[in-house]
Amino acid sequence: MSDKGLENFKESAPLSLGVELELQLVSRRDFDLTRGATDLLDSLDYDGRFGEIKLEITESMIEISTQAQLTVDGIAADLAGLRDTLRQHGERNNIGICGGGTHPFHHWPERRICPGERFNGLYQRYGYLAKQFTVFGQHIHVGCTSADEAIWLTQALGVHVPAFIALSASSPFVDGVDSLYQSARLNAVSAFPLSGQCPPLNDWPDFCRHFEFLQACGIAQGIKDLYWDVRPKPEFGTVEIRVCDTPLSIEQAIALAAFAQSLSRWLLRTRPALQTERQAHVARYNKFQACRYGLDAEISDPSGLCRQPLRQTLTPLLEAISEDAGELGCLHWLSPLKNMLAGGTGDAAWLRERFRQHGNLNDVVRETGERLMR
Amino acid sequence: MIERLLAPLRNVWDSLVERLFFLPPFPESIDSLALFSLLLVVGLLIGEWLHAHARWPKVIGYVLAGIVFGPSALGWISIEALAQARPIADAALGLLMLEVGRRLELKWLWGNAALLRGTLADISLSFVLIFAFALWLVGLSPAWAAATAAVTMASAPAVVLLTIEESRAQGQVTERIILHTAIGSAASFVAFAVVLGIVHAELSADWLNAILHPLWVVAGALLVGGLGAWLALRIARTLPKRSLAQVFVLIACALLAVGIARMLAVPVFLTLFLMGVLLAATDRQQTLRYTDLPEGHWLLAIVLFVIVGASLPWQDFTWVAGLQALGLLLVRATAKAAALAWSGGSLPLSKRLLVGVGIQPLSATAVFMAYEIAGLYPEVGRSALTLPLFAAAMMELIGPALCRLALSRSGECGAGDKGGIA
Repeated sequence: MSDKGLENFKESAPLSLGVELELQLVSRRDFDLTRGATDLLDSLDYDGRFGEIKLEITESMIEISTQAQLTVDGIAADLAGLRDTLRQHGERNNIGICGGGTHPFHHWPERRICPGERFNGLYQRYGYLAKQFTVFGQHIHVGCTSADEAIWLTQALGVHVPAFIALSASSPFVDGVDSLYQSARLNAVSAFPLSGQCPPLNDWPDFCRHFEFLQACGIAQGIKDLYWDVRPKPEFGTVEIRVCDTPLSIEQAIALAAFAQSLSRWLLRTRPALQTERQAHVARYNKFQACRYGLDAEISDPSGLCRQPLRQTLTPLLEAISEDAGELGCLHWLSPLKNMLAGGTGDAAWLRERFRQHGNLNDVVRETGERLMR
Repeated sequence: MIERLLAPLRNVWDSLVERLFFLPPFPESIDSLALFSLLLVVGLLIGEWLHAHARWPKVIGYVLAGIVFGPSALGWISIEALAQARPIADAALGLLMLEVGRRLELKWLWGNAALLRGTLADISLSFVLIFAFALWLVGLSPAWAAATAAVTMASAPAVVLLTIEESRAQGQVTERIILHTAIGSAASFVAFAVVLGIVHAELSADWLNAILHPLWVVAGALLVGGLGAWLALRIARTLPKRSLAQVFVLIACALLAVGIARMLAVPVFLTLFLMGVLLAATDRQQTLRYTDLPEGHWLLAIVLFVIVGASLPWQDFTWVAGLQALGLLLVRATAKAAALAWSGGSLPLSKRLLVGVGIQPLSATAVFMAYEIAGLYPEVGRSALTLPLFAAAMMELIGPALCRLALSRSGECGAGDKGGIA
């Protein structure tokens, strides 16, 4: 829990990017989660040139975050550098590192909270939820030139939360069983009282008033207490998309960053009308649909008063943002997403297919690690 | 003592046998299953009591039970009963050695120069310093000094594995304690085989035995272990991964290897250790990689440590022998701490020293190795190997606590710490 209030919004370069990935630390013997984050970080011989490698809430997680970059290529270079650094140090400590939104079969009571005031505070506040929060997400930061722009973009990106969930879904297994969800990770996040979507807000002063209200009610003390799907991040001058599962490959993580950047540019350029009040009524339902069915979700449209297949709306959206992607120089990074929509395999389907092949989840995690590191 | 207690019952029984023809003669020895059950219950009660009241590792309780009820103290567990229970002890030690063999992660060792440096330093420094201590300070002959060093240089795989399991420990210190123990065991087995030849050469002029006995031990263990591993993988491949059937196949093949090793007079600990190593090295399709020993192996482990406790020669204890054993343990501890401190690497010095503390246990493997060598020439062997046996006897009681201390100081013990059979 943060004790900081709301900071001034720090303007950043338009559409600059930053990516955070929460990764799993697994035993190389049986591929169950292992406790190794503190030891891995203590042994790190790394100058920070590609970004940061940090502790997360439990000892079985680690977070990598890129430098702020103007281009997706910059993000790709940072993520590749961070991956290579982790590969080297993981091997030295005999710790496996892999992607995916959940570990398929770990036993959450065995998790240990990382040392540190913040993590201990979270554990005291949320109890066992903090240990169950051993789930792994990708956060994408998009730079905004003003605070008002950030609030508008937060609302605009909120409509596309199901798309981010479906494209990144990589957590079908929980507690050793197939959850039937494409992204079961977000169910762990939903248990937190301040999770969910950002309420309808018009501009930065509106956001400040809302935040002061939450503060006055004693609900939130800092921006970190808001576990919103998309939230403004004043100290970075960004909007942060927080709903993606950590993909199984770096390439998919880069593709999602390219999607976020291109979509943000398209939204800011075309400024579509936002039905924020109406959207608030369907947001939870749409999120559930995307988590449960992935690209096969039926998304409720509060303006058209109908449901539409997500796959059907995403294809034209990707076409629409292609021009912006071209301008940003990241069109080629959208290919994995286009392939998925054209009938290719997403991460959740890949995990299920590997499980069918092996008949056990240990081998699935082993291959997941190989996939991230190749 | 037990005879005295049973005398009235025997008299009553004998008088009954004369009239009741269906009664068997008064049993002269305890049935093996009854013995197993008694050893189990006695060890279990003392281990659990010490763990619950003093937070001591349960292994210490099992060993204490053996010491108290064994030939050295109350004598309720006789020497004959010990011999009768030996197959159970072999099976228990065999299964634990199989597990340690499977944990020998050579790939990690080759990928981490500091770790390789540390393990090599631990092996060589431990052997050299113990050998020098036994030769020059205790005054043993070179052959028996080498035997002493071979027997005591490595950590105790059974104690280390059970303490880690009991503490539910996980982390770098834990993993390195296991690796050092596995590598140390491998090195001590090599030294053990060489020492067999040296002892033959020194005590008899029979060069044939001096050359062929070590070869028989190594080649026999390799062949039997290899056969066990091959058979286990071959059968397990036809079964679903991680199924109970695979667990049974693994145990059955391990017990087969134990049995054949006993028939061929090849050391069980070496055979099963090699079976574990070969199993891990040849299991390219991960057939048995995720198949763990069932919780039931605690059952056998309890009996193993009660037997080890009862086998310790406390009746021969003298203060001089005790001081010599203490000196050996101090030299050994210094060697291990120095090796870990010198090795450097990514793990901080404080944690490396905790690894050094964690690998101090000395137990069943050392005791069995000592008796194996002593058995070659019983008239001199038993007294010549008093030193390692007393060192093991002392470490039986301190070693598990030291291992436990290292794990808890490193902060790697699991929440609730409810491992083992509790």
